[in-house]
Amino acid sequence: MTDSPPTSVRPRWIARYAALVRAGWLVDLQYRAAVSIWLLWGLIDPLISLGIWWSIAAGGSIEGYDRPAFARYFFAVILVNQLTLAWDAFYIDNWIRGGEMNHRLARPISPIHEAVADNIAYKLRTAGTVIMLWLLAAAVWEPVRIPIEPARWALAAIATLFAAAIRFLNGYATGLLAFWTTRATAIMETQYGISLFLSGRIAPLSLLPPAVVSVAGVLWFPYMLAFPVEILTGAITGVDAYARGFAWQVFWLTAWFGAYRVVWSRGLRHYGAVGG
Amino acid sequence: MNGLRTTVGRSVRVITAFWSANVAEEAQYRANFVVSVLGTLFWLAMALLTLAIFFGQTDRLGGWSFWEVVVLLGVFNALGGIVETLLRPSVGRLAEYVRTGSLDLVLTRPIDPQFYVSFRRINVWRAADIVLGFALAGFALIRLGIGDWGIRIASFLLLFAAAAVMLYALWISLMCLAFWFVDVANLAVVFDAVFEAARYPASAYPGALRFLFLYLVPIVWTTTIPASALTGQLRPPVGILAVLTAAAALVVARGIWRVALRRYTSAGG
Repeated sequence: MTDSPPTSVRPRWIARYAALVRAGWLVDLQYRAAVSIWLLWGLIDPLISLGIWWSIAAGGSIEGYDRPAFARYFFAVILVNQLTLAWDAFYIDNWIRGGEMNHRLARPISPIHEAVADNIAYKLRTAGTVIMLWLLAAAVWEPVRIPIEPARWALAAIATLFAAAIRFLNGYATGLLAFWTTRATAIMETQYGISLFLSGRIAPLSLLPPAVVSVAGVLWFPYMLAFPVEILTGAITGVDAYARGFAWQVFWLTAWFGAYRVVWSRGLRHYGAVGG
Repeated sequence: MNGLRTTVGRSVRVITAFWSANVAEEAQYRANFVVSVLGTLFWLAMALLTLAIFFGQTDRLGGWSFWEVVVLLGVFNALGGIVETLLRPSVGRLAEYVRTGSLDLVLTRPIDPQFYVSFRRINVWRAADIVLGFALAGFALIRLGIGDWGIRIASFLLLFAAAAVMLYALWISLMCLAFWFVDVANLAVVFDAVFEAARYPASAYPGALRFLFLYLVPIVWTTTIPASALTGQLRPPVGILAVLTAAAALVVARGIWRVALRRYTSAGG
């Protein structure tokens, strides 16, 4: 790579990524059953929360959320969650403890590129299904429908992309902690537990105590899920709110990328020291 | 009769041998116990916070008060403990036995293969989940301040056992799918996803979901019925029906196992 002129670097990377995404796509193809089972998981949790809020909201609206608003919210959660899902922490932990990391390191390309490509492939595969399910639900059930406003949808799409990137880097950096500890997955699960509240999985953020909401606002959790969801449902509107949200997304994306760089380079040194 | 007694006696001896070997093995990793208890306490705290959020907006969930739902949460945690202690380490490996062919080894042993597969291993540390679940349910019951403990606890224990049997039947039936579709390691995940629904009372779900969780996949009643025995809301016919259903499920699961096993041997021969 060093002796090639800089102009050819870009196409080469595109070709590499295309090959990696294709490989990831084909691997997923072998595990179609497993992929649909994971989809099921992504459906049931939000549906349980929706079910409970549906029965609580029997009497009318709660903090501006009536039954249709809850339905719209949790169906958007299903969609955005599926598009931002990242399992890397669990794989990396396995690879580091099982030694599979060694032959991944021997490849001529950093493992993170492979992970990014796998995520793109997985999301391409499941996006079609989950969007179809969502359209189907919207066709038969009025509350799920979201007004056709291309600008809002575009903003939600960008926010979802950022959310996916933050969630990926967050999971990847956390998984790399396996270089030092055998409890990296426990750290990941603890973050998931916190995200039940702070990412808006159990309830829309505005239903949480105000103190919790203000703490959530400066952490990465809402920007991995709640922010794009609430753009989509229309709970977040206005240039100010958009700007603030995107600014936080950029901040946390940078922060988790930095964390990944640090953990990766130090971790490799640590890992090498143990191996050698 | 005598034959039955020897069979039962031998089964008990075999289980004792399996489990004591297992406990001895796990005793090497005592830190896992602490981690497992901390994990359970963390998730119980998250569940209680979730309930606090729900009950911040209402004082009844499907007719259940806060402490009544906490009783249910305790029962849910204890049943989850049964799954993690007994079912996942043993029955959960059936798919692996089928895929790798090590079921052949099981079949050559002088012991009923379903029995072997069902009780081979336990994850002894997770038994703490059962204790913690009962403790939480007990605490919530004291907060509710109700009497006639004797009959409630007796009927609860019976219905809890019925629920555990029901879960066992579900697991073995689900895992038997491995005989037809080899790639079913993820089937346990289906169970985990649906079992989540059992953390809330059946009556809290609106029509369509109730149909799904109560009749299509009879999962929610495994916690709702034993918990309502504790809170005193259970109607006796429902309890009797639950016990009969669990017994029937056990018989059906045995049937599925037999059919599945016949398929396996026929493929080998």
